[in-house]
Amino acid sequence: MKEYFFDLWQDIKKNKGAITGLLFVLLFIILAILAPLISAYAPDQVIEGALRLPPGSHFQNYFFVLGTDDIGRDLWSRLLYGARVSLLVGLSVVFLSASLGTTLGLLSGYFGGWLDRIITRLMDFIMALPSVLFAIVIVAVLGPGLLNAILAVSIVALPNFTRLIRAQVLAEKNRPYVQAAQLYGASPLRILFKEILPNCIAPLIVQASLGFSDGVLNCAALGFLGLGAQAPTPEWGTMLSDARSFIETSPWMVNAPGICILVVVLSFNLFGDGLRDALDPRLKNRG
Amino acid sequence: MSLLSVKNLSKSYVTKKLAGKSEERKVLNNVQFELAENKILGIVGESGCGKSTLAKVLTRLEDFQSGEITLCGQNLREIPQKELTHLIQMVFQDPYQSLNPRKKAWEIIADPLIVVKNTPRLEAKKMALAMMAKVGLLPELGERYPHQFSGGQRQRIGIARALMLKPKVLILDEPVSALDVSIQAQVLNLLLDLQKEFGLSMIFISHDLSVVKHISDETLVLYFGEVVEHGPSEQVFSNPQHTYTKTLLESAP
Amino acid sequence: MLLEIEKLSVQFKTESGNLIALRDISFSLAEGEILGVVGESGSGKSVSNLALMGLLPDNALIQTKSVKFQNQNLALNSQKQLRPLRGKKIAMIFQDPMTALNPSLTVGYQLRETLQTHLELTKKEASRKAISLLERVGITSAEERLKVYPFELSGGMAQRVMIAMSISCNPKLLIADEPTTALDVTIQKQILDLLIDLQKENKMSMILVSHDLALVKKYSQRIQVMYAGEIIETGPTDQVIKHPHHPYTFGLLKARPSAHTGKSKEHLYAIPGTVPSLRARPSGCQFHPRCDRSTEVCVKINPDISASEPSFACHHPLESL
Repeated sequence: MKEYFFDLWQDIKKNKGAITGLLFVLLFIILAILAPLISAYAPDQVIEGALRLPPGSHFQNYFFVLGTDDIGRDLWSRLLYGARVSLLVGLSVVFLSASLGTTLGLLSGYFGGWLDRIITRLMDFIMALPSVLFAIVIVAVLGPGLLNAILAVSIVALPNFTRLIRAQVLAEKNRPYVQAAQLYGASPLRILFKEILPNCIAPLIVQASLGFSDGVLNCAALGFLGLGAQAPTPEWGTMLSDARSFIETSPWMVNAPGICILVVVLSFNLFGDGLRDALDPRLKNRG
Repeated sequence: MSLLSVKNLSKSYVTKKLAGKSEERKVLNNVQFELAENKILGIVGESGCGKSTLAKVLTRLEDFQSGEITLCGQNLREIPQKELTHLIQMVFQDPYQSLNPRKKAWEIIADPLIVVKNTPRLEAKKMALAMMAKVGLLPELGERYPHQFSGGQRQRIGIARALMLKPKVLILDEPVSALDVSIQAQVLNLLLDLQKEFGLSMIFISHDLSVVKHISDETLVLYFGEVVEHGPSEQVFSNPQHTYTKTLLESAP
Repeated sequence: MLLEIEKLSVQFKTESGNLIALRDISFSLAEGEILGVVGESGSGKSVSNLALMGLLPDNALIQTKSVKFQNQNLALNSQKQLRPLRGKKIAMIFQDPMTALNPSLTVGYQLRETLQTHLELTKKEASRKAISLLERVGITSAEERLKVYPFELSGGMAQRVMIAMSISCNPKLLIADEPTTALDVTIQKQILDLLIDLQKENKMSMILVSHDLALVKKYSQRIQVMYAGEIIETGPTDQVIKHPHHPYTFGLLKARPSAHTGKSKEHLYAIPGTVPSLRARPSGCQFHPRCDRSTEVCVKINPDISASEPSFACHHPLESL
């Protein structure tokens, strides 16, 4: 296994996009973790009078690297704490949708029959609606809030995992090694989780890294629409939405969270794609 | 006494066609044979003759429509799964597809023990490594993954896995077809040695006449799901009765 | 001589260094001769043919001293020189006919296309020629078969179509690379008999590549045994089979049981070990790790193949009896 990952790393290293993506991903994670240490102020600290100051402003004995927002909060600090929120959102979305989606995919691929039909139809239904629209519907039912937004976005992301794993299981379950396990009496659950699942891990990792960026983006979209994180949570989408009306007079308020979302989503996508390229030949000739 | 007896075995596949029509295709038709203890029965036939289906039916991977199969005096359909695993095991054709690529060699070999007998992992590993030595693999290689082995070595792993539960009957479905000539001989020799050591009965399925002639005591020729010839190998190969057997023999280089 | 190849080497460039697939292969082929090439996986038995057809992948490095086809010098690196020969003078049949035919085009379309590429024919003439070709390779009701897609054919039929395609321009050399490995025994014989018939009728030369020594023995006049990218023994088929000099040839002959003779259930002569991979080639003689006759000299020096007959590459050959 060790040498497998070593080879994988060698392949990824050659892909400039993937490495750039990975660097930004790491930077994003480090900043999110260190937010309390490197932020200048608390994210919800209102400094009276320091309204919509441009980046690099001094105000009394305060200094604002990226300026302040419309009620006098430091943008740099809010962005850092926003990274924490995004990290949390991304991780929970991936965790929820991957674990549930994988389980559904395994069951529907392996057992087939009516179970498969129900699960596939359900996934078809989710995919038939535009993802953000469907997420909005779910949040509208559950009520706005970060937790519900995460839940909604996870449900929207389910089909990606379920379909991926189902296809993989269908391909694997007829291979002789699975038949061999049946012959010595391994139970269906053992076959699913011990024989088949380890062979689905590679595409699952790729999908997870792409799912992360989808999760972040969709949650930001919900926040932007006022359905996600509620003030004063420093969530990038919500910040973007709050700053919208000041786009002409104070463009930095819009630019900063916008660029953050862009960079994080882009770098996860780049890394995920690179990972897929590196894993693909391995998938083909692993024999 | 015969270990395995197959009487009037028939099986057909039903394929659904367009517009609700379905088509029935007979793959095994009135197949009949017996396997005695300590004997090797060779089954020869060309693609589509039903020889692989027969292997799946005998190992209960697939069901059959009519006929009767008796294994060690019990009706095959009624043997509990746990018991069946001790009676019959199989070696597959493709050594590349029949081993889980994500498991180490010893794990693959030890798994039957862990699953069926609940043997503790460490003990199962010890026994797996001992079995590796028996099939001619260095036990040091136990920590490797299947892709690090050559085709012949992989087939040895497959054989070791099948022998872990000490089955009475071993079914081999084209076990050497995917191997190089010089490796084929090694595996055939190994099979003959193991047969003696474990007192195994084998059903050796192949399209390759020369290999079947070499290894089997009795030979059965399948043609479109029917047994067209069955007898002691010497006799079948030196004095074939059925025209199809004659054609097969003439075609072999 | 129709084909003369002198010192052909092929390497594949990879990130972990160059892999030697063929090392200094020399052989020649007379007109109307059938040369059988035998070897196990990784022996390089297909590589020389692919090089001749210009079908090696881009990362292949081809080096030759000289290659002559019909007494003309040929540069194997030049697609420009090879393209006009390919299909017209040199044709090839592959192992798996099902993948060698395009699944989404009819048999007739593919046959006509081949004919019209090399010969100036109208569509009608091409169709007529296609029908007569199919009839020649033993396909009944040929006219209807033209409209059929490859998946509707059996393996044997598909291989017959491939053969019809390959002989369509009366090539001088036909390369058959494991032409029957994917087919049943009874079909195998029919296909090989057909190939031999056509070879005689059109006075073609043929290179028959196979892993099966028994098959090559039956159908070839000369034989060439390959191991780890080298020719280790070559000569007239009868002689090589009767008096093999190289221990590997001897081992191959002994390792394979026969459907016609021999006692059963006895131990076969088995060559120990495995074929070396391209990545881990041994020093000296490529066969020495598996050879029971090897000595110190075998570990150090890779023997050259003797120029005069009997031709073999071994320090300690088996004596002729």
